[in-house]
Amino acid sequence: MITTPHVDWFALSPTLALLAVAASALLAAVLVPGPLRKPVSATVTFAGFVGSFAAAAVLYAHSADAHGALTGSLMRDRWGALAQLILAGAGALAVLVSYGERTKEHVSEYYALLAAAGAGMIFLAQASSLLTIFLGVEWFSIALYILCAIDIDRASRLEAGLKYLITGSFGSAFLLFGSALVYGATGTLRLDLIGRAVADRGLSDDPLLVVGLAMMLVGLAFKMSVAPFHQWTPDVYQGAPTPISGFMGAATKAVAFVLTIRILQTAFAQDAHLWTVLLAVLAVASLVIGNLAALVQTDVKRILAYSSVSHAGFMLMAVAADSALGGRAVLYYLIPYSAMSIGAFAVVAARERELGHDVSADDLAGYGWERPVLGVALWIFMLGFAGFPLTGGFIGKFYAFSAAYRHGWLWLVIIGAAATAVSLWYYLGIVRQLFLRSSAGAAGSTGTPSAPPRDALLQIAVVACVAITVASFFAVQPLIDLAKHAAGSLPF
Amino acid sequence: MAGPGIPAYLGVAVFLFVTGAFGVLLRRSPLIVLLSLEIMLNGANLALIAFSRHWGNGDGQIFAISVMAVAAAEVVVGLGLIVAMARKKLNLDVDELSSLKG
Repeated sequence: MITTPHVDWFALSPTLALLAVAASALLAAVLVPGPLRKPVSATVTFAGFVGSFAAAAVLYAHSADAHGALTGSLMRDRWGALAQLILAGAGALAVLVSYGERTKEHVSEYYALLAAAGAGMIFLAQASSLLTIFLGVEWFSIALYILCAIDIDRASRLEAGLKYLITGSFGSAFLLFGSALVYGATGTLRLDLIGRAVADRGLSDDPLLVVGLAMMLVGLAFKMSVAPFHQWTPDVYQGAPTPISGFMGAATKAVAFVLTIRILQTAFAQDAHLWTVLLAVLAVASLVIGNLAALVQTDVKRILAYSSVSHAGFMLMAVAADSALGGRAVLYYLIPYSAMSIGAFAVVAARERELGHDVSADDLAGYGWERPVLGVALWIFMLGFAGFPLTGGFIGKFYAFSAAYRHGWLWLVIIGAAATAVSLWYYLGIVRQLFLRSSAGAAGSTGTPSAPPRDALLQIAVVACVAITVASFFAVQPLIDLAKHAAGSLPF
Repeated sequence: MAGPGIPAYLGVAVFLFVTGAFGVLLRRSPLIVLLSLEIMLNGANLALIAFSRHWGNGDGQIFAISVMAVAAAEVVVGLGLIVAMARKKLNLDVDELSSLKG
């Protein structure tokens, strides 16, 4: 008789909720008549993300002691659960932002894929074996490739989808080959057993293991969009549907960072002397390239894409610090960062729907007076990205810097501070456009009679993002405590 | 164990992976690029299977079979995109795909 392993269904519940939703939304594409398709599938998907959020919250409360679920391929711990809360929240906001998109075709499929991508990410947040990690990465990536190109009638969408597919798969191939080498060095796929094998057998300088680790980090760097593996980011963020760009900026980054820290701390703690240096170098590259490239962009989505590269650099500083403080810093950083990312892209989406074409910085001239709610919101997001006080971005950067400083990397902190100073130029440039430039485009914007009515759901999402951005500054202690308990479940 | 040892298998696996990587970086037709991605994944598969034999456990083989399924899904999406581009009469040359830049 075959003995089946014990399955901890409760640990899987956030994933399963979204999988069920993805299937129902897909069924809605067939069974629900035309005009109802969009409300039905969007509602179901939103409910799925909220349900997943609730399940993750319960999971967080009941997982004080970390233990394996599904024979150790998944970990049921607070680290994963807190990441799942961020991911599910980002997904729910993305549904609200997406609802106003004016595409007529493949609406149910859009939501089904969004739920599937969310399910993959939420699965990946718990993954703790090389096999589940690879499957999770591909799971959400493939869903996102299709989402990028879902309007197959627009050439820019197709181009973004194909570019994302090629670079994403290239990165995954590195992750896979690295995994194979690590498996070859240690003989196991489970992260905790790899860590033990490395410690017991003194494999930390084994060439197979070191090359495998380096290749895995390259693969993960593609997903984190860390320079110099970021080239796909601006093209894909610009070409993808804007709500999806926001979702990718928030959720892909969140899950990639959470996963990287889990891998490094669980399996490769013995090799910290190697990867801390490598990650510090990548952090510097991201800070420099992200910020300098953002200066010369005109398309707002591209500016935000390069800004996301530079934020990857800030978070990588905290990862490279190799401490519980660094882990806590990343988890905290991700909360306001995800909200700001989705919110900023939502405002761009609103403007894009009014104009009917891509939004350049000039298109935002005077927008803050035209649409005060969205304008003020974008202002707050820009200040938050730049790291001003009264937004969570300030505390996030502060924690990332202090993690690097505690590690003894004053030079890294100085580079980070210089990068922040440079970033002020383009963040405040957008604010200047919003409020200090009379809308030279006023002639253009008053001349667009087809400006759609205010999109209530999008505004709700934007206001929620503002609330999270600001509240994470004032409620910093409870959030840090959450992150602290979460980081406590990894062997820092 | 008869036959060539692990280093030989690993050598072929690395050769496949590197061939595929150069294909992705240098070739311009998206079809060939997809093919090269497959070669990269299959290089990794060969390494997994060889190591699985070396360690005498099935983990690597299970991994390799999952990778095949994933690779198939990936190719389906890639080919779908290429067909859609061909229908729109877009130039099927990854160097010409540069409407998104800046």
